[in-house]
Amino acid sequence: MRSSILTVLVLSLLVAACSQQPVINEEMTHFEGAMPADFSGSWQRNYLRDDSVNAVLNDAYNRLIRRTQDPAFAGRPVQTGPSSKDVEALIALADLAELITRPDDLTISQNEYEVRVDRKDDYSMLCSFYDGVEKGTESPYGVETCGWNGKQLVSHLKLPDGLQITHRFDISTDFRQLRVQTTLSSSTSKVPFTIKRFYTKFRRPAPRFECIETLSMKRVCSTGELRM
Amino acid sequence: MRAVSALRTPLVTLVLALMVSIPAYSSTALNVSIVIFDPGVPEDRSSHRDLQIFPRIREIEARILPFVLRDTLAETGEWGAVRVIPEPDVSAELLVTGEIGRSDGEMLELKIRAVDASGVVWLDKAFAGAVNDGQYDAIAADLRLAAAQLDDKKLDSIREYSMLRYANRLAPTVFGDYLETQADGTVKVIRLPAKSDPNLDRTRRMRETEYVITDTVDAKFQELHADIASIYELWRKYRRKNLEYQASNAEHAQVTKSAAPKGSFEDLKNQYDNYKWDRVTAQEQDRLAVAFSNEAGPKIEAIETRIAELTAWVDQRYALWHRLMAELFDVETTLQEAEAIEKELIDRIETLPRGEIE
Repeated sequence: MRSSILTVLVLSLLVAACSQQPVINEEMTHFEGAMPADFSGSWQRNYLRDDSVNAVLNDAYNRLIRRTQDPAFAGRPVQTGPSSKDVEALIALADLAELITRPDDLTISQNEYEVRVDRKDDYSMLCSFYDGVEKGTESPYGVETCGWNGKQLVSHLKLPDGLQITHRFDISTDFRQLRVQTTLSSSTSKVPFTIKRFYTKFRRPAPRFECIETLSMKRVCSTGELRM
Repeated sequence: MRAVSALRTPLVTLVLALMVSIPAYSSTALNVSIVIFDPGVPEDRSSHRDLQIFPRIREIEARILPFVLRDTLAETGEWGAVRVIPEPDVSAELLVTGEIGRSDGEMLELKIRAVDASGVVWLDKAFAGAVNDGQYDAIAADLRLAAAQLDDKKLDSIREYSMLRYANRLAPTVFGDYLETQADGTVKVIRLPAKSDPNLDRTRRMRETEYVITDTVDAKFQELHADIASIYELWRKYRRKNLEYQASNAEHAQVTKSAAPKGSFEDLKNQYDNYKWDRVTAQEQDRLAVAFSNEAGPKIEAIETRIAELTAWVDQRYALWHRLMAELFDVETTLQEAEAIEKELIDRIETLPRGEIE
């Protein structure tokens, strides 16, 4: 009896320790030389390879069941299954994940110190590294940090009320395919929700007009070389 | 004699250059030179976003804000010529330098330092407040107060310092030992040239010629100011708008915070949207900064090219004047020495007994 309590205690501590592991650790926030991977280009969604939200939700639900039945997580007495509140929290994460990962295409621009991911109907995700050291974005609404896990670019957003969103960008060896794995977790959901989206590189047709933004004339376009 | 004739052609050029008409300014008040401001952009690029600093725009501001100060000082009628110059000039009667501490469309902070030609600091302080909150009037008032402490004798002495420092820069071989810089940065006159010193007279005339160029540079800066003032005002307007959006985002976040049950889709979406709109607002500001730079950049480049041509011309003249002054000094020294030897010989001859001469 005593040994089983000890096992539960040790397991609980291990789980707690694991859950506090930062998504982006110190080692991931700096690199030497050029950026480890180049994601720049225009990327079009490949729906054939995408995860199905329902399938992922089913998996997550099953994990939730196992978790609520696992004494290491559920405590005693062991629950028979997840509560409706647990399920609602998971579905809320899935809905938000679907919303965030909705854009059909991404435009990624990259230079020596910045990776910028432009997404339709959303803010541009920005990862800045000055002299190879990550410089996050912090505001009263959230903290966004980035890092490199090998050749994988990781962006982590932590919002004040407990919502966390992580995007992991991987590029294929032929540089034609992009995988974005998005994980959402919250203080109310017992399990995170992870969904993968795939993109194929495409060449945007050259614009017929050359345009620049100005303050007084808004967007100014020309068919030839544009000079103010 | 050969040296003098070799100098004739450049001297003709010089004399012609000196015949350019000189604008008239009040001779009783000090001339003020305002150097284009230090943009105040930290070297650490990673801090720019946090500090809301757009380096290219700060560079533009550094060129146009001195004009507001220039106009403010000129309008008081209490100063001689008030000019905006590209580089600091220690020989300026009163040199004003500035650094932009903050400029975000709503708040403006300028760190201003004014030093006269004798090295005495008149003013060294920061002027901060809302945009159009009278910072320039406050600077003008402080300078007026500092000037009021000085009597005519002191003002004349500053002009003398100014002329000697200019002469020292132009012809260090001739005027190098007239001034001495003290440990506290002030300058001490060791000796004064004679009022009838031809070198000083030449220097004065050269300086007046240089003022013509300085006024042309100043006019170019004025042109730049007129060209981009309206775009800059638009930029400030958009920045103020952006600050309003930020405040509105904060208000929206506060209002929607307690509305949805914790952990619900609405709650999560609210959290995400609050962050999203904050980022969109910041990124819109970045876009506007690029738009401002797109529009003002080419105008600035064109004027800077012209200013570079003018300053290159002045630098070339400097080299020429420097050489001519040194050569004239050599010639005059040699002539003076020859005259002294001649006089000594005559004296000696005159003292000799008549029989020895014959």
